[in-house]
Order: sequence, then C-alpha cells, then structure tokens
Amino acid sequence: MIFRKIPLFVFILPLLAPLNVAGQDQDTVKPTRSAANSLYAEDNEQNCLKCHGKLVYSITDTVTGLSRKELMAEHNFISPDAFYNSVHWSFNCLDCHSEGFKQFPHAIETRFETGWSCLDCHGYDPTYAQYKFEEIDAEYQKSIHYTATDGAFTCWQCHDAHYYTPMARESGSLRENISRSNEMCLHCHGNPDIMGLVTEKELTMVLPKHEFLPDPDRHLAAVRCIDCHTRMSDSVLVAHEVMAADSAVSSCVDCHSQNSILMGTLYKYVSKESRDQEGFINGVIFSNDSYVIGANRSKFISLTGMIVIGLVLIVAGVHTVFRILIRPVKKYYEQ
Amino acid sequence: MSSNFYHYPVWVRIWHATNAVLCLFLIVTGFSMLYSNPDNALVVKFQRAVAIHNVCGVLLTVSYTMFLFGNLFTTNGRHYLIRLKGLGQRLWAQGYYYAYGYFKGEKAPFPVDRERKFNPLQQVSYIGVMYFVLPMLFVTGWALMFPEFILKKFLGVSGIFLTDQFHVVLGFLTVIFLFVHLYVSTMGKSPVSNFRSIVTGWQESH
Repeated sequence: MIFRKIPLFVFILPLLAPLNVAGQDQDTVKPTRSAANSLYAEDNEQNCLKCHGKLVYSITDTVTGLSRKELMAEHNFISPDAFYNSVHWSFNCLDCHSEGFKQFPHAIETRFETGWSCLDCHGYDPTYAQYKFEEIDAEYQKSIHYTATDGAFTCWQCHDAHYYTPMARESGSLRENISRSNEMCLHCHGNPDIMGLVTEKELTMVLPKHEFLPDPDRHLAAVRCIDCHTRMSDSVLVAHEVMAADSAVSSCVDCHSQNSILMGTLYKYVSKESRDQEGFINGVIFSNDSYVIGANRSKFISLTGMIVIGLVLIVAGVHTVFRILIRPVKKYYEQ
Repeated sequence: MSSNFYHYPVWVRIWHATNAVLCLFLIVTGFSMLYSNPDNALVVKFQRAVAIHNVCGVLLTVSYTMFLFGNLFTTNGRHYLIRLKGLGQRLWAQGYYYAYGYFKGEKAPFPVDRERKFNPLQQVSYIGVMYFVLPMLFVTGWALMFPEFILKKFLGVSGIFLTDQFHVVLGFLTVIFLFVHLYVSTMGKSPVSNFRSIVTGWQESH
C-alpha cells in the first residue's frame, strides 16, 4: 500500500496550515524587496541615484545658476530597479562607499577607496554559514584569477554587489542561469579593455579556443564556462577555483559518461537521490533541455534490450543442447 | 546426395562482408557510447568510439545504397519480395520446424534452392531489418550527426532526445537480429556450411 509509506503528518499538515500562519512572528516575515520598503531609498535617490540612477543627469552651477545635462558613464550607472531587486537592496549607498562621496564633485580620494570584499561582511558569520564564504574565498585565492593578477581581481569583477541575486537558487530556468553565468566570464574574456583592468596579458579569443568541441555553440549554450574551467569542489555549490586554460576539462568522457562531472558541477544543486529522473540515468540533465550521450541512458530501454538479448541467447543455447542431444535420434530417423 | 550450386554472386558477398564488419564496429562503439565509463576497460574510449561510429555509419550508408541498387538492378531483389497470401501458415510451418520438426529429422519446409534464398521467417526478418530498421538507423544516425536539423521539440519533448532513444532502440533490434541471424546460420547442412557458402558463393543443398 503506497499510503503506508506516506507519513501521517502529511495528512495533518493542511489542517495545521491556518494555525501556522496565525502563529507567524511578524519579525521573521521577509520584507519584499522594493524601494518602498527600503529605509534608505529616499536617501539614496535624493543623493547618489539622483545622478547615478539616470543615464542622463543634470548639474547646476550654484554660482551662475546655469544647468546642463550630461551622460552618465556606463560603468558608473546604477539601475535603481535592478538594485532594489538585488540582495543588497536595503542598504544605504554610504554603508559601503566612503563618506567622501557626499561631496560633489567627488574628491579624487574617493577613486582610491578600498572596496569591501564579500568576506568583509559575510565571512565568519553564522547567519551566512550555509553559503560557505570562507571556503569560496580559499578557493578563489588558489584560482588563476587571484594568482595571475596579484590580487587586482576581486569578487566584484564577476559579482556586482549592486545587482547580486542568488540566481542558482532562485531562478527556475537553468538555461537562463547558464547564460547569465557565462555572461559574467565573457564580460572580461570577451572584452580586452575590461580585461586590461586586471592584467597585462593579451586576450585570446574565447570561441576559437573551443572549436575542438563538436557543435561548439550547442555545448557552450548547455554548460557554464566554470563547469570545465574550475576545479570541482565537494562542498561549495559553485566552485571558485578557476584553473589555467590548459588545466580545463577537455576530455569528452569527463561529461559523456555515467559518472559525468556535470553531476558534481552544473547539476550539483540536485541531491544524489533525485538525479535519476523519469527512469533515466542522470535524468536531471533533461531539466536543461539537454541530452548528453553517455551520461543519459534509459533504464527501461537498456533493461528490456538486455533481457531480450539474454532470452535470445538462452533460446539459442537450449536449442543447441537439444541439437546435440537429439543428433543420434535424428540420424536414426534419417537412416 | 547433395549438389552444390552457385548462390551468392560476388557483389552480394562483398556487400555482406562489408555490412558485417561495419555493423560489428557500430555495435561495439554504440554500446561504448551508451555505457560510457572511463573506468570500464570493456568499452572503447568515448572520443574514439564517436569517431569510429561516425565513420562506420557513413560507410554503412554507402554500402546500403549499393545494396539497394543491387537489389533494384539484379535478380537478388526478388528474394525480398514477400507473398502475403498464406504468409501466416508459412511462418508457422517454419517456426514449427525450428522448434520441433528439426529435432525429429523432418525435411525443411522451405529449403534453400536455386530459386529460394530465404525461408519465410528469414524473409520477414530480413525485410524488416533491411527496409525498416537500417533506413531508420541511417535517418536517426545522420540526424544525430547534424543535430541542428532535428526539431527542437516534438510534442513537448526534446527532438534530440527522441531521435537518440529511437536510434538506441533500433540499435538493440539490430543486435538481436544479429544473434538470431548467426544462430540460424548454424542450422545448415552442417553448422559451418552456411558460413562457408557466404564466403565461397557455393551453397550446399539440403
């Protein structure tokens, strides 16, 4: 009986649901991310976002009273909508940026302010223990990004604190996550000027380097760059030890096999138990609109095929035995 | 007393040998890809398996095209024309012979002679394999080599996934056919006489 396997509390839960809502502590309800709920929205918008939140902003000469419009430099523009949808939506700009920015025009010293790293706020804090920032930092410090740039490469090169959202956990579309993850890499690796900010190394074009893959476009749309270019991590959800290009995965069988490394990288968020879905080995790959030969296999087709082949061999074996045993009888009849 | 007659022309023997070798390579590499595992010494390395499978698949398509032309322009094609009337009875008679009559020393109901190459069971299975299974294997195999031509979704399911599953099922059917074909081939005048015939071209009559 299937019902025996379902714990009793599952049936009782709906009855308890109204009690649970009534019993919720108001303080534990997560506030909705929006400018209206941010304590500092007014501060931010009247000060920083007044200019940095607009693609075109106005400045006024306080002596002559003359005003003119200016274009905001792209890298200094902060999209208010995206900011209020990020995990840092509730912050005041000056929580992270120095007081010097209060002054306009901004003093030259503000250009040299030391940016916070993720670990400065999130490290060694039990609140964020589940994200394992310390292990991420340890992996990052072993990565080529850190060792080849003398530390010029920081968290912000990939993760813009103004717009950061935990996409791997919140977005339902794996393809969208893959695309956004790869955009992070291509932001530098597809743009020599941006890459020049952290290294003198000449940028090699990314796509020609991947032509060894059969149908490279299909491969690059279905996996993240980091699935091949980071050392697989046992503990953190997204590995951060980016390896030198010549250490990246280049053997087909690393992904195209039952023990595909993709199960420890791209599909790591799925528990081991639920990786085999719909009767398929590593069936979770289908959630990415993908089918990986060697990694995916229908258990039903394999089993049925093997059983039929086995039966054919058994019938042939039995038939052979009878042919041997009955040969003298047959010869007798033939005489 | 047995009399030998020339039954398999050179082109059929060359095609058959090519077909056999290519099918063996395709089966081994196909299984290697399906059960790909770097720790398994029994399977061919994935990268090599893919390359061999692709080359053999293309060669088999060429060889199959030659077979089709051969059947169109020579008398070999008539062996693949089936007479539906009384087919059920003929199949039963042949099945009965394999399962029972053969052991009793009964005469084969449809022996190989100058006019008949296949008994009814062979005829049905060979037509199924040569005119359905193999062409579908070619269509799905070529499609998997050029997946950009496969429908992205069919009835809400990934086109590549469906194509590959169909290819795998057809591959299993080919393996099953191969085992049956090999076993039935041992049931000639002697266990090796049919194998000798397909090499020399001369058939020993029953």
